[in-house]
Amino acid sequence: MIPGLLRAAPIAAVGVLAIWTAADLFAMSDGRSASLLFELLVAGAIVLVLAGVLRRMWLRPIGLTMVVAAYMIAHAIFLGVQVLPALAFLVILIGHVELRILAERFARLYEVALTSQERSRIRRALGRAALRLSIASVLAVVVPVIAANLAVAGVVTVTTIPSAVLLASALIFVIVMLAILPSLRQRTA
Amino acid sequence: MRTSLSSGLAATSLAFLVVGLALRSWQIVLLSLPPVIFLALGSLFPPPTPHVLAVRSLSRDRVQAGWDVDVELVVHNDGPGLDLVEIVDVVPRELVVVKGTNHAVVSLEKGGEIPLSYTVRSAVKGDFHIGPVRARSLDPLALGAEDAVVRVDSRLVVAPAMEDLRRVHLQPRRTRPWFGQVPSRRIGVGTDFWGIREYVPGDDVRRINWKASARFEHLFSNEYEGERSGDVVIVVDARRESFIGTEEDNPIEHGVRAALAIAEHVLASKNRVGLIVQREVLDWVPPAFGRKQLYRILDHLTHVRPGGEWPFAHVAWVLSRFFPRDCLVVLISPLQDRAALSGIIALAARGTDFAIVSPSPLAIEWRLAEKGPEHAVAYRILQMERSNMIAQLSRIAQVVDWDPTTPLALALRRMGTRPRPA
Repeated sequence: MIPGLLRAAPIAAVGVLAIWTAADLFAMSDGRSASLLFELLVAGAIVLVLAGVLRRMWLRPIGLTMVVAAYMIAHAIFLGVQVLPALAFLVILIGHVELRILAERFARLYEVALTSQERSRIRRALGRAALRLSIASVLAVVVPVIAANLAVAGVVTVTTIPSAVLLASALIFVIVMLAILPSLRQRTA
Repeated sequence: MRTSLSSGLAATSLAFLVVGLALRSWQIVLLSLPPVIFLALGSLFPPPTPHVLAVRSLSRDRVQAGWDVDVELVVHNDGPGLDLVEIVDVVPRELVVVKGTNHAVVSLEKGGEIPLSYTVRSAVKGDFHIGPVRARSLDPLALGAEDAVVRVDSRLVVAPAMEDLRRVHLQPRRTRPWFGQVPSRRIGVGTDFWGIREYVPGDDVRRINWKASARFEHLFSNEYEGERSGDVVIVVDARRESFIGTEEDNPIEHGVRAALAIAEHVLASKNRVGLIVQREVLDWVPPAFGRKQLYRILDHLTHVRPGGEWPFAHVAWVLSRFFPRDCLVVLISPLQDRAALSGIIALAARGTDFAIVSPSPLAIEWRLAEKGPEHAVAYRILQMERSNMIAQLSRIAQVVDWDPTTPLALALRRMGTRPRPA
């Protein structure tokens, strides 16, 4: 059952993303733009299906980008960005990629005959990975929501341009540090 | 080592930030946080570099092609605990894992061990090395990985399958002055009656022909045809152009199997056998008797890989320089090289005995090809060309056109007749 669930999870996640985007597009008042974005969404879904059927892995990010682009354009230009749904959408998107990697790593391990000891070891590793992913997903929604609440409540004012620039600089610094951290660690080791 | 997902998350975060600032939308700026949180969690708990030890044992280190070998690998974690570690025992692509697995993704605590047991099988001969063991400590969020390679190599020699040629009549026509099993057409020690002569003191009483002695009132002794041994040189054509088909089903692989079977058969008949292999290098084994020679030949045949473009003229030179002149040359070749035919004809004209076993490349190609009407016509034309060539060669040598799906013994039984003089 585990390999089936593992294989189904990323497909379910991308299905949720596509249905969610389609539902938002139906809610748009501008019919012409909605139909254009809907075409983009359908094209993305077709590319994703083709990537799976034809086993062309390079097609997958293209399809995913098209689906996400339909959602982003619809919200950025027409519907407006609602923080909580947008965060949830983004976390499901990241979760889809993570689940796909987990499925690729673990699902094929179950295809061969395993002893109960091997099976329990693999299950333990899978459990740890799933736990880490769950924690990251929850934090990825909760932390920005708390940050937004703090900002709106006025505890930390981020409504001025200088403070936004400051926040952006801090974020860029964090990202750059995270990006170069492994190289720094290797150099000091 | 960072993964592409980590770069993708960083890029997404930056994109949200830039777009948010450009559109002056704090909501979009806020969307840059989730990827950063994923990255931050990944960096807070980076995968440690694995320090693992590995011990591998094989149930057998020498097997025949098609036999199973059990491999036991125990990986011991000598370093920090590993949340998620992927372990792969690298197996050459010729070896197929038929049972168990050589790959695991597990969590391995400090001092912990993980046993991996699997069974491999090779359909082709070769000298293989199993290993090294690769361990990759993975970040559970797939944002980074650390690799380690444990150099533990195990050698597995897979010999070609041996065919039974007991009822095959393949022996040298010319003999050497050593006892053997080949009728030498000379008087000597043997079992076949040759003639009678007058008795001379010292003749064995059992050899007296009493019937002739009674008729002529003189003692006469029987004489027998001496059974001696001869020399056989097996030439295996393993050049690149002879490789037609797949890894398992090609004239070189079948030729090597045939060479081993013939060597075993000829050595069992108390003859000397030598070997020449046309591959990337032109290597040879001088003729010798016995079991040791069979192992020597087996060792050379195990290492045969398609390659090289040695013309037959070089083989002719080696034959004339390092091998006895009156030996039987058994050429095992798909006969793809037309230039070689003139070389064979020239050698045969100088008195070298030839027997040619040709694993049919056409039969192999036909099995693998599509079978449309045009392919059938092409096959028939090529078959006619090949038959013509074999008929031409049959004038100077014993030639067997062998479809490798049939047993070699069956094909070699057709090799009884001597060729007509050229």
